Amino acid sequence: MKIKGLTAGLTFIVLMIGGIVISVATGYWATESSKEPVKYETGDFAGEYNPADIRGSYSFQDIENTFAIPVETLAAAFGLSGEENPEAIEIKVFEDTFGIIDGMEIGTDSMRYFVALYKGLPYTPEEDTALPRPAIAILRKEGAQSADELAAAEAKSVTLDNFTGESAAAATEDHDETVLAEIKGKTTFAELYDWGLTAEQVESVLQMDAGPRTQTVRDFCMEKGIEFSTVKDPLQDLLDSL
Amino acid sequence: MKKKVKARRWIQIAFFVLAALIAVNHTLAESGMAIPFVAEASLHAVCPFGGVVTIYNLITTGTFVQKIHESSLVLMLIVFGAAILVGPIFCGWICPFGTFQEWLGALGRKIFKKKYNRFIPYKFDKYLRFLRYLVLIWAVFITAWSGKILFADFDPYYALFQFWTGEVAVTGFIALFLVVLLSLFVERPFCKYACPYGAVLGLFNLIRIFGLRRNADTCISCSACDKACPMNIPVSGQSKVINHQCISCFECTSTDGVCPVAGTLEFNTAALKGGKDEN
Repeated sequence: MKIKGLTAGLTFIVLMIGGIVISVATGYWATESSKEPVKYETGDFAGEYNPADIRGSYSFQDIENTFAIPVETLAAAFGLSGEENPEAIEIKVFEDTFGIIDGMEIGTDSMRYFVALYKGLPYTPEEDTALPRPAIAILRKEGAQSADELAAAEAKSVTLDNFTGESAAAATEDHDETVLAEIKGKTTFAELYDWGLTAEQVESVLQMDAGPRTQTVRDFCMEKGIEFSTVKDPLQDLLDSL
Repeated sequence: MKKKVKARRWIQIAFFVLAALIAVNHTLAESGMAIPFVAEASLHAVCPFGGVVTIYNLITTGTFVQKIHESSLVLMLIVFGAAILVGPIFCGWICPFGTFQEWLGALGRKIFKKKYNRFIPYKFDKYLRFLRYLVLIWAVFITAWSGKILFADFDPYYALFQFWTGEVAVTGFIALFLVVLLSLFVERPFCKYACPYGAVLGLFNLIRIFGLRRNADTCISCSACDKACPMNIPVSGQSKVINHQCISCFECTSTDGVCPVAGTLEFNTAALKGGKDEN
């Protein structure tokens, strides 16, 4: 049996369209990461979305969809009400937009912290995570956090008036390579080893076997039920001591 | 040029435009100005090679490498399925970067006439063609090692369709410049020497169901097939052409391409009538 060019070309196109249609119909087709954080599996909050799994690629709209916090509230909390399409703002822009203010950082973890407080969900922010003052004002009025949690958040607040536009990247310009080795949510075990940590050092912090090289430390922590922030700082200390 | 090979040109143009639209629309979508009815996916998400480089990660951690999603895996499987049938038809008919090189090649052909695509003697060239397997091994290894698609920093295809985004590394632009330059001398230089996905798909030529078969009894030895082959495969010397570089473009065949004798050169499941598979 022979096949002609046009038949072969059209067969391929039919196969492609058919394959895509089937994968869409079965719900497998995805061209971007799921914009739904994982849910708490146990405890008082079982079944609710876990703010610890909020990613930099999430937009304000994604946060509204999952945590039911209006986009307008999120934009106001982070001083972005004047933006044209606040629903499309992705959290990852925080680091470039705000970066480091008064030695503290407004980044993806700030959104995790804000959402957790707003919804009254448990979350331990990273040590240098900051919240803008407007966020504190909103939490005071609408947040579900306890008084102690609010006080802790106030201690981590920074004013956007002092924001100089200095990005995290610019702030680290004068530092050496070791300082640039900064553990973030997307840091993989491979990067830890590339930066000079040994598997033994990493495992001593984790108190268990490390994950595969290509897995991010944060995903590993989520998988094992460990708070990422509790291993991030000791690992960062090890890196800084190299 | 026969009518049906023209169909390949139109399909190539359609997929080139589609890839360009998706790439531009992804940028527009980030600023909330997406073109209606056009996919907003990133270029990585619709690249079937992403499926290949993420396999190790999928097996070991159950997750995709950064920027690669389920869509890449689906497309990879579709392309593999088609390749089992008719070989790397994706390369010859669909790949927008192959199309881009062919367009540049048309310019090179005008400049160098018959000398075009004949600068490197085949006896040396056929060994250089294995370079792309080294690129494949390296691309898969560094992705498995890092969990990131570091190959994108050297990928001329990514550079071509993302040059306005600020996400393309200098090395990507250098790779693109080299491909543009070489395309003026050699047909599809990236496909021949460096494309890791072409390397994967090329292996399907060894097991494809519809093989390229030549009937030596009716062949008039005009060598038109050799001259037409963009990958410089010496088609006229074989009864069954099994070559890892074939891109299933059909340019050599008697059904669609330059072969002047009907029933002499076809993609077929069995030896052609009156002939036999000799090698």
